[in-house]
Amino acid sequence: MRNNIGQINVNSTLVKVEHLSKKFDKLSIFSNLSFEVEVGESVAFLGPSGCGKTTLIRMIAGLDEDYTGEITRNYNKIGYVFQEPRLIPWKTVYENLRFVIENDKKIDETLKIMKLDGFQDFRPAKLSGGMRQRVNLARALLNDPDLLLLDEPFTFLDLHTKLSIIEDILEGKNQRTFSMIIVTHDVREALLMSDKIVLLSNKPTKILEEFDVAQIPKNIMDEEFLKRESEILNTIVRRWSEV
Amino acid sequence: MVLELISFVSFINYYSKCVYTLSNFSIYVYIFYANKLVVQRRWIMSTTLKYVTGLIAIILIWSVISLIISSDLILPSPVKVFQTIINELSQQRTWAALGTTLAKVGIVMLVTVIFGVFFGFLIGLSNTLYDVFRPAILIMQAIPIITWLALVMFIWGIGWTGPVVVSILALLPQTILSTAIGVQTTDKRLTEVAKVYNVNTSKVIRDIYFGSIIPQIIGAIQVVIGNVWKVVVVSEYMCGDDGIGVLIAWARQSVAANRVYAYTFIVITIGLIAENLVHKYTKRLLEGWEAA
Repeated sequence: MRNNIGQINVNSTLVKVEHLSKKFDKLSIFSNLSFEVEVGESVAFLGPSGCGKTTLIRMIAGLDEDYTGEITRNYNKIGYVFQEPRLIPWKTVYENLRFVIENDKKIDETLKIMKLDGFQDFRPAKLSGGMRQRVNLARALLNDPDLLLLDEPFTFLDLHTKLSIIEDILEGKNQRTFSMIIVTHDVREALLMSDKIVLLSNKPTKILEEFDVAQIPKNIMDEEFLKRESEILNTIVRRWSEV
Repeated sequence: MVLELISFVSFINYYSKCVYTLSNFSIYVYIFYANKLVVQRRWIMSTTLKYVTGLIAIILIWSVISLIISSDLILPSPVKVFQTIINELSQQRTWAALGTTLAKVGIVMLVTVIFGVFFGFLIGLSNTLYDVFRPAILIMQAIPIITWLALVMFIWGIGWTGPVVVSILALLPQTILSTAIGVQTTDKRLTEVAKVYNVNTSKVIRDIYFGSIIPQIIGAIQVVIGNVWKVVVVSEYMCGDDGIGVLIAWARQSVAANRVYAYTFIVITIGLIAENLVHKYTKRLLEGWEAA
């Protein structure tokens, strides 16, 4: 779907997963899972804890290649916001970013956008959980990704920090167009960050339902948002109890 | 316990005004007036003072045992040994021997750390290399020093090379293994970050692997510095032609136990100073690393 190197067609498929299956010993994690993520699209995979969400995102990133089926990747670069920040402990914030890309001007700009300027000489241990996660995100955005992968990035954060980081991500998405794949078990996070929510079952994981949420206002105080959140929650309770 | 002691001491010194007690490396001072405690002070002993107390205790025990044994051949008194130390330090041959031993220690340290870390790093990066070399390194580690000494004597005879080679062979396996294990226990989550962002291998080695093994390298250096003196002196004793080990061998032949103790004391002192210096410096380095 690529025209030239570095250029990807809008309205084309960025990631195509076909008949994906994976087993841990005898335990089947995925069985015949198929989906697509379009260019510029944000898809949230919503599933119960332990259903294999992280495994799925790792397979898309190419970190786990032990599976059957096919994953077509039409992206050049990815950004990966890991569940835990994964910063090099003996390096400063600046050095951690420089590890990914040696462009001081760009690092300075990203630090400013991510509200990290003034913290560039701090080592990760001196930062709060929220700040560390910001660095994790800054590193991902610094790579100029075509696809941003987010693996339950707000698990250990409070609501205020979570909303503030989500705002930064959405702002980053407005500035440089990229697609997003988010895995989470939090409906609110999924609603705020995605155009489409894919509801997953427990193991062996399969797609239960899809929700188009592109038109929902991304505001947790908005009535329509709250109504849609409630509907999805009801569906989740019903569908997960059926499986 | 302290209070009981105070009561007892204050009872027998009913009219005395001051009582000192020593407990838990602290000095307690209690000042009484009319049998009532009016001032209580506590001075915690500094680390240096604790060391000095420990050394004085050793010398006291040594003096008592030496008095009981009453044989200079087995255990000369501390006074006699210190006299011998002063006497030996005033002689040129002691300083020459000390210089030779120090030079050997330096070479052994340098070769062991540089080669050990390099080779350990290399085999740590590859599971196959690690599995191939591990048995050989373990065998090398298990071989008694005396076997190396015998082999080295067959090859080089008595001389300068033997003690250096034996010491390197004795200390190298530990350095190689601890470095390799350091590399292998590198946080795989960090290498995954590098993979996701296509970071080049040299940067991954420099920034992740090398950074991860710093504590292991420091640990290896501390182990080597703690053992290198013993190994070099033993090797000199068995197959050297110069050095403190050789002086000890000569002292043994002359049945001069006081000289054996004096040389040992000199080696221990220098060894402890070197170990302390390295420990102090590396501790600071490690604190910076762990603060990360």
